[in-house]
Amino acid sequence: MADAESPSESATNVNEPLDLVRLSLNETVFVKLRGDRELKGRLHAYDSHCNLVLGEVEETIYIFDDETEGADEPRTVTKNSEMLFVRGDSVVLISPQQ
Amino acid sequence: MASQLMPLELIDRCIGSRIQVIMKGDKEFSGILSGFDDFVNMVLEDVTEHDYDGTTTKLSKILLNGNNICMARHDVEAGCETIMD
Amino acid sequence: MSAAPQAPNGANDSRDPSGFLSEIIGAPVTVKLNSGVVYKGELQSVDGYMNIALEQTKEFVDGKLRRNYGDAFVRGNNVMYISADT
Repeated sequence: MADAESPSESATNVNEPLDLVRLSLNETVFVKLRGDRELKGRLHAYDSHCNLVLGEVEETIYIFDDETEGADEPRTVTKNSEMLFVRGDSVVLISPQQ
Repeated sequence: MASQLMPLELIDRCIGSRIQVIMKGDKEFSGILSGFDDFVNMVLEDVTEHDYDGTTTKLSKILLNGNNICMARHDVEAGCETIMD
Repeated sequence: MSAAPQAPNGANDSRDPSGFLSEIIGAPVTVKLNSGVVYKGELQSVDGYMNIALEQTKEFVDGKLRRNYGDAFVRGNNVMYISADT
């Protein structure tokens, strides 16, 4: 796998998918995780496995249970963390926030 | 004694013909095999995706991730003759 | 990707996975995940893990539009297929 911080890469070019993540360093990102969880926070660090370190994180958990069955929207729970490590294998999608 | 046919050779012989790909879990694809790689990722053309709930989706050309493939065979429903005789 | 039994005319024609991918870079594609979630967008890049970068991405859950992303990185292990839109 190519080195994500390779100095020969131009700073803005997207040559491989992880460049998109590299360009989001120190920016706010939206992360979709397995198990109906979403995170929004500042991307401090990442690696090629998509292990992430996020700061000032808001986590949203979508709960599909009997109470909300048939309802348009599932129940949500939000949690806030100052700093969070995310293991790469639970990552589904990463998107820079405009 | 018949010479042994390696698994990937069998798939190689399917290039150009319609195959049925059965995924882990209740899903199947039928399409014409254009190519594949060592991971058995497959390029399929003129594809029909059969979902567990009975819905079908037509797709013109796809790259199918080999990770979730369970089995592949000549598409018998398309009336394709066997190449092994 | 290496040493797979190739079509007679060799590597990197659009019939093989890597050739197909280079052919559809920049084109509108549909990406379906194992979970059933579908992403439609313009394909920026793909790597050997099938990690995908998409532009102007729309997310569909149960066939219904859920969200729009300007750019989106999709981790390859979740991908079931990449389809070239027609």
